[in-house]
Order: sequence, then structure tokens, then C-alpha cells
Amino acid sequence: MTDEPLLESAASRQPSLGDTNEDDALRNLVAHLVQEQPYAVLCTQGGGQPYGSLVALAVTEDLRSAVFATPITTRKYRLLCDCERVALVIDSRSRSSEDMMQIEAITATGRARQVSPGAEFEHETNLLIGRHPQLELFVRSPTTALFRVDIIRYLHVTRFQEVRQWTPIRG
Amino acid sequence: MDSDPWVIPLAAASCDDQRIGGKAAQLARLQQAGFRIAPGFCVTVAAYEQFLRESQLQRVIQMELGRKPFEELRWEEVWDAALRIRNRFSAARLPLAVVQSICRTVRTLGSGTPLAVRSSAPGEDSAQRSFAGLHESFLFVVGEEAVLESVRLVWASLWSDAALLYRQELALNPLRSRMAVLIQEMRTEDRSGVAFGRDPRKDQNEHAVIEAVPGPCSGLVDGSVDPDHWLIHRAARQVVTFRPGRREGPAQNEPLLQPQDLESLLLLLDQVESELGWCPDVEWTGRGSCLTVLQARPITSVRHDPNDKRPWYLTLRPDKQRLQQLCQRVAEQLIPELCALGDRLAAESLEDIDDAELADCIQSRQALLERWKRIYWDEFIPFAHGVRYLGMYFNDAVHPQDPYEFVGLLRGEDMLASQRNRLLQVLAQQVQEFPELQRTLQQAAHASSAASVFEWEAWASQLSALGGGCQFLEAFQTLLRQFMDVAFGGLRLIDNPAPLLRNILELASQTNSSAASVESREEPATQELEQRLLDAVGAARHDEAREVLRLARLSWQLRDDDNLLLARVESQLLRALQVAGARLKVAERLNPDAEVRADAVPMICAALRNPADAPLLLPAALPHPAPLSPRASGETPRQLVGQPAAHGLASGSVRMIRGPEDLGSFHAGEVLVCDAIQPMMTHLVPLAAAVVERRGGMLIHGAIIARELGIPCVNGVPNALDLLQDGDRVTVDGYLGIVTVGVAEFRLELE
Repeated sequence: MTDEPLLESAASRQPSLGDTNEDDALRNLVAHLVQEQPYAVLCTQGGGQPYGSLVALAVTEDLRSAVFATPITTRKYRLLCDCERVALVIDSRSRSSEDMMQIEAITATGRARQVSPGAEFEHETNLLIGRHPQLELFVRSPTTALFRVDIIRYLHVTRFQEVRQWTPIRG
Repeated sequence: MDSDPWVIPLAAASCDDQRIGGKAAQLARLQQAGFRIAPGFCVTVAAYEQFLRESQLQRVIQMELGRKPFEELRWEEVWDAALRIRNRFSAARLPLAVVQSICRTVRTLGSGTPLAVRSSAPGEDSAQRSFAGLHESFLFVVGEEAVLESVRLVWASLWSDAALLYRQELALNPLRSRMAVLIQEMRTEDRSGVAFGRDPRKDQNEHAVIEAVPGPCSGLVDGSVDPDHWLIHRAARQVVTFRPGRREGPAQNEPLLQPQDLESLLLLLDQVESELGWCPDVEWTGRGSCLTVLQARPITSVRHDPNDKRPWYLTLRPDKQRLQQLCQRVAEQLIPELCALGDRLAAESLEDIDDAELADCIQSRQALLERWKRIYWDEFIPFAHGVRYLGMYFNDAVHPQDPYEFVGLLRGEDMLASQRNRLLQVLAQQVQEFPELQRTLQQAAHASSAASVFEWEAWASQLSALGGGCQFLEAFQTLLRQFMDVAFGGLRLIDNPAPLLRNILELASQTNSSAASVESREEPATQELEQRLLDAVGAARHDEAREVLRLARLSWQLRDDDNLLLARVESQLLRALQVAGARLKVAERLNPDAEVRADAVPMICAALRNPADAPLLLPAALPHPAPLSPRASGETPRQLVGQPAAHGLASGSVRMIRGPEDLGSFHAGEVLVCDAIQPMMTHLVPLAAAVVERRGGMLIHGAIIARELGIPCVNGVPNALDLLQDGDRVTVDGYLGIVTVGVAEFRLELE
């Protein structure tokens, strides 16, 4: 797997596989899964050690970014502060856990950054609370940090090993 | 109207319609069979579900009830969850379509018509279970807005503490509960009451029971009007007993119902039983041929486990009238009596009485203690619900974002523990002012010899020669006499002043008196909150609001004091036992290393009365064993979750306070971990960086004191005492209710 392309550099962006129609179809699959599944496994790293955490997630309609929140007393918060490169794994096991060949999964890779209070914070908070209204007090707690992940690409897996990549187009 | 999924008129409802709940379905059936029923309609279960769906409240409920296994939630925690859920129900928007349907139907009944808004949950009333009184009902509701608000609160009452606990008792899953609401015209004739097809206190008998009150039935149901009561042989139609209700008024001795009225009611019972197929409990209004059935449900005969305390919890639902009665008795009679008893027993000299008199004294003190413990359960604890009554009252009026904002109204009450803590602050300030005194006290407090009263007195004579020493000694002895002659964990705190001395030195090491600064800071906030409450209820209800406040404040203050006063009486029993133990040991009739505890009363008294008996052998006092940690090898707690009881974020080393022997070990800046903060240990809280308790509740001592002092508190952490150990580094997040174990890896300063 190649290194993640820089967000700002269109030239370094990895091309999507397939033609436009296939691209749309894959985009729709990704969109469907992130809309269906409210949670993701957040993958972080530190000192060469990977770490996984289940997070409640909201993804923007254009699929370019995701938002989640974490208490600042957690290991994942420290790892996020130390390294912005993250992955998010979302899968459909809750829909079809019996038949492995029916399970879909996506791995979204990107960069996470903490959102400071302000207009952007309110916007991202509303996105997250809109998806998870029960988390309002949690998200607005002074000891909770809000993170936005700028998603660089999605890797979509079906039928156990069939992997396709889709890169959201940035304006 | 029939196709409206949100409301169904009673006249059009199907008798077995699950959408309208049990109460409404039974009335619909009776109406269709020709019984007189007040016109009305039912807000369907579907409307409730739509409300939950649109507001996404189901997820809020799942969060609240999913913090830990429901059966492990203590009653206080259930109450807290219920209050938070109720607050969210109050704040959530009703679905527009439901609002339109309800308002349209209310207008058909007449917008100015007083209405009864009652719960009608599916499965609510059956022969096996009855939720009577557990879900809310509102009477004489006038106007569309008031009806909508009542519907919202009836829905919320599905999640009241009592309703949740009752479901727990019946092993019903609360998360599957649903609620319909019955809305009917208020029918109030000159007589109302209840009629039971058989005596509900007995399983099988031939007697019907009829109770009647003048005016609306609500007075009988809420207990504010004492009813006339008839026990009638149902088949023979003969009155077996009649007991007139105790009511004021000129015609109080006249029975409210004549024989023909009783006959009509018995006929009604026969007909309802024939129609519904079970022996009914009917709520009615009117007389003769104008009897209206307000409600009909099966008589339940649920047998309670005598050891199950939940039915007792259910009796604790706040009721203003009961609180007023309790307040009068507790504040004016019981607390002064208990206070005087403690003083009298403390003043009694036990040295000069003979052994038999000492045995009498011990037994008398034990009997007094038992009596007051019963009063504590029967009257002091129920009166403590004045605080909760204020919580509901404040939230219904003010609709605050934080459902515990009302706790700010309780600040500044002059409790015994506050007086003690102020005196401790004064002593700490004296120590700060005199460095020589501080050094000497440090030696005294940390020398092992300071662990006994005798040695302490030796140190005391040394202190009196130092600058500030006499003043300190005088205040310290006052403190011991007035506040430390209490029992805690089976010991008398007055017997060992060294821990207290250490606490004072720790307080003196703090530069500021946090308690004092908090009091001055919070005072305006209390006044502001009070004004918000008064503004919200309106001028016409100012007296009512002030009365609710008065009850709550007294309830909060006395609820704290009663613990200390009871502990003072227990201390006097322990003192008498100590005297007895010393005498028996001198006479070589008790082993010298024996520990004389309260459970040895019968043996000690027998030994005192029968000097010829063989010497008594009691277990020796053992050093306090180090608690065994159930941590499995390789298992290390990382994050513990509880209830965020006081906001803040702090790190520190764990110090467990398991009993009186740990009080002196507490150092400033440590995290206080305990089962629950007792009034005997509240003076440690200002020293603590944070508080963690096993016992949960937003209104328990630890939570309220921590909130006052601005110290983070997480409570309701089930295994806090097992999973944490002295010296563990922890971070307490009082915003989220998380205790993180390990060295803090983040900045504590919040932006």
C-alpha cells in the first residue's frame, strides 16, 4: 500500500479504479454503509504499536470527512495528539454476520485533527449529535475532544477478499 | 377520525385494541356494554412511539438505563435516571401530527372543559399486576396546551423511579414499555369512591368493600380525604362493618351513602364482573342510576417477599401533604428529642453506679438505639424525600437544562457537619499562624503513642505552654466534645483524636479555606435560583414554592444531622460497654484482650448481673486487616465508569477510606475512594482532589458536598473498592463519570 497522498495536493491523489459509473456505484456502496452503521473502529498508532477503539461516528454527506468524540483522559486521545494518521473500519457484520461472503467492510484512511471551539466546532458537533442525539452531553463536556477526520480514500471489501478503492473528489 | 393513528375516541375503540392500553380498553368495553362512561378519547401507543422516534428519546433512555445492569442500580440511581429522562421528555418536541390530532379532539370535548389525563399502558392493569398509582394522572386539566403538557408527563411517568422498580420486581423489560393516554371529561358528582368486588386485603372472601368521599374521587385516591368505609356481605347485601371517615364539617357523622346507594354500587360490581369476567376494583362517581364508571381493573393479589425492600421504596414517593406531616414531626419533635437524648446520655456518669445498674443502663441504651434506628427508617428517610420533591417541582416549573440545578437551592444550610467543619477550619488557621504549635502537633499526630487518649493528654499539657497552644486546645476539646462523641464503624471517634489532629494539619497545609470561599461564591447563585423558581411559578404560587423550598431545606439539613445525632446515641452505648468491659477485666471476669462490641451486650449484661458466673471470654481486638484485593493476576483496571456526580477533572493518588481507622491517613490532594461519604467524614472532602464512591446518587452526601466545593466526584462505581488500591494514580472526570487508572497522559488544564 502506498503512502497516503497529501490532502492539499491533487497531483499526488491516487486515481480511483474503474470508470465513472463504477465509481458512482462504489461511492453509493460506501455511502450506504456509513449511513447504515453508526459506529466504527478507529485505528491509531503510537511508538510503532497500533491501537483500536470503537467510536460513534458521523460522516458528511459528501463522504469527505467524519467526526467523532473522545474523552481527553483516554489512550486514543493521546495517540491522536501524537499522530494524525488514522484509519476507520466500518463493517456490516450486524446485518449479515452468518454469511461471511455477504459482509461488507470499508477502511477509510485519513488525517485526524482536534476541532477547537468556534463555528466549525458547532457545525461538527451538530453533525455528530444529529446522528447520535444521546451523546449530546458527552460531546459538549469540557473533558471531551471533538475530532474531524479528513478522509483521503476508502477501501471497500466484499466477498471476503474483493477490494476496491475510492477517493472522494475534493473541490 | 377513525383512521387517525394518534387518537381513538373511546366510543369507537375496540375492546381488545392493544393501541389504547388496558385502562382505556376496559372502559371502551364497558361503554359498549351500556355502562355510563365519561366521554373521551385515547392517545394511542403509536403516538408515544412516534414521539420517541422523532425525538430519539429511546436512545437517551437506553443510555440512562444501560450504565450498568438494571438490577444493580440502587434506588437513588434509578431516581436520578428517572429525573434525567423526565427532563428530556419535558424538553423534547411533540410530533406536529400528534399535536394536531390531540388538539382537534380536545376541541370536540370543548376547549374549556376540565379533563382527566390518565395513563393507559398496555398490560398496566391485569389480575397479576397493577400499576395503580405508579404512572401519573392529571385531573382538571383545561386547555390544549395544558393537555399536551400532561400527556408528555404521563408518557414520562412510564420511566418514573417507582414504575421502573415495579417492572424490575415483575421481571419486565423497561425498554419494551409503551404508553397510551386516556383523556376524558372530568365527571364529579357529589359522591365518589371506590368499590372492590372482594376485600383486597384477603385472597378469597365473600365481602365487598365500598369507600366514598364527598366530591371528586381524587381526594380518596391521593389520601387527602378520609373516606367512609363499608364492608358488605356481597351475596346477602348486608353491611358487616361501617367506619365513618374523619372529616371536618357539619354533617361529618352522616354516612355519605344511603342503603339504596350501596345497593346500586353492589349491582354495578355484579354487572362489571359479569361483563369483564373478573372480580373488579371500580372507581366511580355519582349515585343510584347516575353512577359513572371512572376506572375498572382487576383486584391484584400479588404476594410480596417480606425481605424485599422495593415495596417500601415505592411508599417513598414524594407527597407534599405527607412531607408536611413528617416535617412537623421530625423537625419539631423527633430531632430535638434525639438531640436531647444524646446530650443526656453523654452527661450521665457511669463510674458511680453499681454493676447491676450498669447492666440496666446498657440494655436501656441499646433499646433506645434500636427505637431510634426504626424511627430513622420509618420517618427520617421518608422525610429526606423533601429534596426530591423540590427537584420535581423546580424542574416542572423552570425546565432547566441541568436537571440538578435545584441542588444549588440547598447550599448554605447550617448542618451539624458544617458547624464541625467550620470549627476544623478555625483550628487549621490557628495551626497556620503558630509554626511552633504546628511542629509540635505534627510530632504528636505522627507518634504512635498519640493513638490513645491518655498519651494525647500528655501531649496536651506540652501544647499549652506554646504560643496559641491554649487557644488551640480549648477549641480542639470543644470539637471533640461537641462533634466527635459519635460512633463510626463500631468505634467512638472521641477515643482516638490523633486522626483528627492529622486531618487538621492537612487542612492547615492548604493555603486557603476552600469551604469558606465556596460559601461566599455560591451565595448569590442560591438567591438567583430562588428568584428563577419564583418567577417561573408566578406570584399566585409564591407561597407554595416557598413552602416546597422550606420543606426541602429542612429535609436536607435534618437528613444530615440525624445521622450524626443517631451516631452520638450509639456512642453512648459504646461508652457504657467500655466501662463494663474495663470493670470486668479488672475483676478478671473478662479476658484482658477482649474487644467489647455492641453485639456482646447480652453476655456483658449477664456477666455484670451474675458475678458468680464463670469468666467471660470474648474475641480479642484484632488489628484492622488489610483488605484483600480481588484483582485477578494480569488484570489491571484502566477505566471505571460511574455517574458524573460533580463536575471537574483531577488526578491524584487513591486513598481508600473503609472505616474510622483510615480517617487519619488521608492526605491533601489525594483521591478519596469509599463506599459512600458519611457525615462523619465530610471534613475530608475539602482536602480531596476528587471523590469516588461505590454508592451512586446525585443527592447523596458526597455528590452534594463535592459540587459545593467544586471537586470532581464520580459515584455509583460498582467495584471501586475492589478494583482500586491505595496509591493507584487515577484521574477522575466528573463531567463524564470516568475514573482512569494510571498516570495522567494529558493536560489537565481545560480551555
